[in-house]
Amino acid sequence: MEQLLSGYFIYMLSILLLFVALATILHMQFGITGIVSFGIAGIWGFGMYSCAIIMIKLNTPFVLAVIMATVLTGIISLGIGRILLNLDDQSVLVGTLAFSVIIEDMIVSESWLTKGVMGYGPVKFPFDFGIYTKLAYFLIILLFTIAVMYYAGRLHRSPYGRLLLSIQDNEPLARSLGKPTFRQKLIFFTFTSALVGFFGAISVPVYNFVFPKYIGPDITFTLWIALLLGARKRVFGGLVGIVATVGLFDIILETVVPIPSQYAGMLYNSKYFLYGLVLVLVLMFRPSGILGDKNRSINIKNISKFEKKEG
Amino acid sequence: MTFVMFLKSTLTIGLLESAPLMLAAVGFTLIFCLNGFINIAFAENLTIGAYLAVTFNSMLGWNFYASIIPASVLAGVISVITYLVVFRPAMRRGMGKSEMIILSVGVSFVLRFGINLIYGSNLFYFNVGKTYYLTLFGMGITSTQLICLGLALIIALGLYLFMYKTNYGQIMRALSDNEELATIAGINPIKVSVLVWFLSGFAGGLAGIFTGVFTWVHSGIGWNMILTILLVAIIGRVGNVRGALIAGAGVGIITTAVTLVTKPAYGAVVLLIIFIAILKFRKVQV
Repeated sequence: MEQLLSGYFIYMLSILLLFVALATILHMQFGITGIVSFGIAGIWGFGMYSCAIIMIKLNTPFVLAVIMATVLTGIISLGIGRILLNLDDQSVLVGTLAFSVIIEDMIVSESWLTKGVMGYGPVKFPFDFGIYTKLAYFLIILLFTIAVMYYAGRLHRSPYGRLLLSIQDNEPLARSLGKPTFRQKLIFFTFTSALVGFFGAISVPVYNFVFPKYIGPDITFTLWIALLLGARKRVFGGLVGIVATVGLFDIILETVVPIPSQYAGMLYNSKYFLYGLVLVLVLMFRPSGILGDKNRSINIKNISKFEKKEG
Repeated sequence: MTFVMFLKSTLTIGLLESAPLMLAAVGFTLIFCLNGFINIAFAENLTIGAYLAVTFNSMLGWNFYASIIPASVLAGVISVITYLVVFRPAMRRGMGKSEMIILSVGVSFVLRFGINLIYGSNLFYFNVGKTYYLTLFGMGITSTQLICLGLALIIALGLYLFMYKTNYGQIMRALSDNEELATIAGINPIKVSVLVWFLSGFAGGLAGIFTGVFTWVHSGIGWNMILTILLVAIIGRVGNVRGALIAGAGVGIITTAVTLVTKPAYGAVVLLIIFIAILKFRKVQV
């Protein structure tokens, strides 16, 4: 039991939770607001590396480094959003993907700062509870992940969330009704991206050493596949999708089923092969994902309640 | 490095580098013109073409130039199969554009990692045979590079003529605007789409072979290039073959210049800046 709590298993669970949080943020960006961000792994990596670099180069305490990394990611995302978000969907997609690839390339090539492919670190856990350190940190991540999911759930029922949904459904219409859609999208994108940066920053002690391969486009696509598999319009879509993809392959297959080392490469390839196949099948035969679409029937009682609150 | 020398090497290397890029951008933009979505799985046409050519060339021992044609034709056939099996049914279900892009990512994963499962993760090399060394503008290049550049230009020109000098260009525009109306006008949508997807896959396969022949063949060939192809196609105004050719050559030369002065990573940065500047200049907004 003690070995289980301090070893590989809890490490994998922590990574899984971080991915659940990212997929939920992606749900807020794509499923609610309709921003097609293919740069989520790059933003994640930016938070991750800036936290590690601030902490080691400037010798700051961990919490301060996380705050600074979150703010920095927010500023960078504000810049990206300001440039890209008023373009059409396909340009946003390509632009954010390009940004993500550039971040990864820069981290590999600017090795004076990031140590390139050698990996940057080490960053230790901010506290030491002996064998329970990893478990305690896992619980902290769990807390933040639940907070994100709670926020996403609240968003679905709030007037602000309805504004964002209306931007996704028909942006020109929302604008014609006097809603500043670009500004709302920009603010929401900045906020959620800063959140992504925050999760990147708190993921650093889990990894101990950060590598460029943690932030490649493969991660972005894994998140997208998971979200679409789960259900892109449901709060728990990200959770279900990540458990069904990353959870199934990385945790159950790699820890429970003993696989001879000569087949390790094949496992990696068949994993992504199956991800792709599942994605194609889901999009073709159940486009709304495992959980299906949210039933958005108008509840008169709720609306009158909100009107009272607002007015 | 003197300025003249820099200019010479930029132009020569840039032109050689941009030959596969131009082919790929034209192939990519054909599909965009017809179906109006970004087909990420186009990357795998390059990979498939390169792998098939390397199979014929170094495994079966065919001549390099003899293996180009069947490999790129097969790449075109696989492109048609993906269209008929996945993309056409998906479009007929009325899938949104963002979903189509994500669907194409899925197809791309299936093809790329399928190749990895079949061929393993080894690197493969082409056996080009005897090569001659020539000088062009004072830069040393090999005869293979020159032939590949020539072939790429010929095929790109052929696709250009296909778009602008036959009525297929018009038919494609008619189909992408309103498929039902085009059908009433006597156009067979499946026949035209199959032809376009074949040509696109063919151009992609060739681009993959021309990329692989100067380095090595691995499963990331297309994937590493797809972002540049996307940027080039959008800079050259999507769906526009002429624009794709010009943007392909321009981007190849500019990124070479940046790479010669600084590091390769900054080539992508400059490309992204150009991309955003051009989109802003054109004011494509929601």
